[in-house]
Amino acid sequence: MTSAAEFTGVTQSYGDTVAVENLNLEIEEGKLTTLLGPSGCGKTTTLRMLAGYITPSAGTITINGADATRLPPEKRNLGMVFQSYALFPHLTVADNVGFGLKLRKVPTDKRRELVMANLDLVGLAHLADRKPKALSGGQQQRVALARAIAISPSLLLLDEPLSNLDARLRVQMRSEIRRIQGETGLTVVLVTHDQEEALEMSDTMVVMRAGKVMQTGAPATVFTAPANRFVADFLGYENFLSQSDGSLLTVRPEHLRVSAAGLEPSTAGLTVSAVVRESVYRGVDHIVTMTAADATGTPITLVSTTRRDTLTADAGFLPGDLVVAQARDHEIVRLSADN
Amino acid sequence: MKGRPILGTLAVLGYVIMIVPILFVVSTAFTAGDALTFPPQGVSLRWFGEALAYQPFVGALLSSLQLAVVSTALALLLGVPVTLAIQRGKIPGKSLVEGLFLSPLVVPELVVGLALYQQIMIGLHQTSFVALLVGHTVLLLPYAVRVTGASLALADPAVEEAARGLGASPLRTFFSVTLPLLRPGIFSAGLLSFVTSFNNVPLSLLLQSRQFRTLPVTMLDYVQQSYDPMIAAMSTLILAGTVVIAIVAEKTLGFAKIFGGINK
Repeated sequence: MTSAAEFTGVTQSYGDTVAVENLNLEIEEGKLTTLLGPSGCGKTTTLRMLAGYITPSAGTITINGADATRLPPEKRNLGMVFQSYALFPHLTVADNVGFGLKLRKVPTDKRRELVMANLDLVGLAHLADRKPKALSGGQQQRVALARAIAISPSLLLLDEPLSNLDARLRVQMRSEIRRIQGETGLTVVLVTHDQEEALEMSDTMVVMRAGKVMQTGAPATVFTAPANRFVADFLGYENFLSQSDGSLLTVRPEHLRVSAAGLEPSTAGLTVSAVVRESVYRGVDHIVTMTAADATGTPITLVSTTRRDTLTADAGFLPGDLVVAQARDHEIVRLSADN
Repeated sequence: MKGRPILGTLAVLGYVIMIVPILFVVSTAFTAGDALTFPPQGVSLRWFGEALAYQPFVGALLSSLQLAVVSTALALLLGVPVTLAIQRGKIPGKSLVEGLFLSPLVVPELVVGLALYQQIMIGLHQTSFVALLVGHTVLLLPYAVRVTGASLALADPAVEEAARGLGASPLRTFFSVTLPLLRPGIFSAGLLSFVTSFNNVPLSLLLQSRQFRTLPVTMLDYVQQSYDPMIAAMSTLILAGTVVIAIVAEKTLGFAKIFGGINK
């Protein structure tokens, strides 16, 4: 593995607050790495340190093997796309995209050619002479992307680039960014709080919490084998059951099947008796909330969103119904005790 | 205004109170007679001719314009970097510094005038133009800081960061991104500063000299001695100039932007 960037023992603190603590991270060349976590987990700080907008309090950052810890942003040659797009409102789309090229003293003809090629890449060549405010949010986002790519950056940094777009456009832009990454072969670092976005787009996911890396790995690995309760929780696991040996089991709500007590099929795996507290019809499924006890006798809440046609009672359940919640072996994730 | 009769009436009343006296002045300026009375006797441009031929008014008008232009330029040259430092810089006691630059708004101008009179004219033996220039610049600083500050506060800092990321040095970023972003704010601040300086009486009254006297002070002097339609004509000319500035400002930027200092 060749790393395009590397964090070694990086800490960033403001006064008493530690935003990032002793971070060690390699960004693999030519891959899309996602920094995922809730707000305040340090993912944006990490990206801004890589971009040079924040200087780490301790540790080193290298880009392409060279120490860049204290290099100002203008000397890093990184393409950054901001959450707010941050287009230059007084310049046309073409001049926005050509801004970095002009600073690099690319001759006018060549510049125009590169600008159009990059606008073509994002499908906006026909809007080259417009001002940013005449563009929709999605179009502005594409211009910001073209502007960042135009300088042939060593890394492309995306700070929550899709969070201001509407749901449909967001999904469309995910594959668009993947396509552009494939065509350009760029190393991309994406910051997001959206686990679906991270799973869909990443080669490598870095899940962060309170300034620390919780887990790094391929999306399928992280999703099917979360390292601890936090990662599991963040990726949508519920139903955490403590075991007598101190370990923890967890099952996704869509894997927990509910049957009326006595009518449950016999399956190897997890079988827990529970009492229905609430059952909400949602069309494709029900959300059944139940009270049960785990292996240590502690009362817990179980949530199931199994599809309606797999429910034994077709009309769903009523509060107070006695039920059995079940999951098959391969649907159960075991988390180690120390987390 | 529908359904809000009290507010509507108050608004109309406010406009009437503001505009009617001005209409009296304007209409008397066009009188053909010799007295400043209403209604005017006949219609003529006679007093406009007299006002523009009256040397003290013309000289004072030029002095006022000179003072307003130079002090506005100085206030912007000082105020814009101060605004940037307050809004974007990491300076300790930010609000204290901002308060300091806004304080001329609350310190009585007569006190400022007296201090400048003692220190600059008596102490340093400078001309009244220099004293007035210093006084007006200080007076205008709050406008420069406040109005450009409002426009900078609304500008997304990420835009400047984007410029840095694309390879622009801090200086380059200032000239090719920050300054264009601030242009409406700077224009508004300049306009407000110019009008404030041009209309100022207290400072100009204290720091005037025989060689340098502003228009409002000269007009005040004139009214104390003679009361004829020439003063109404001169006032009308100033009003006309202000209206032209206002129209230009409205056409280029819009009033809401100028007085809100809003950059959107």
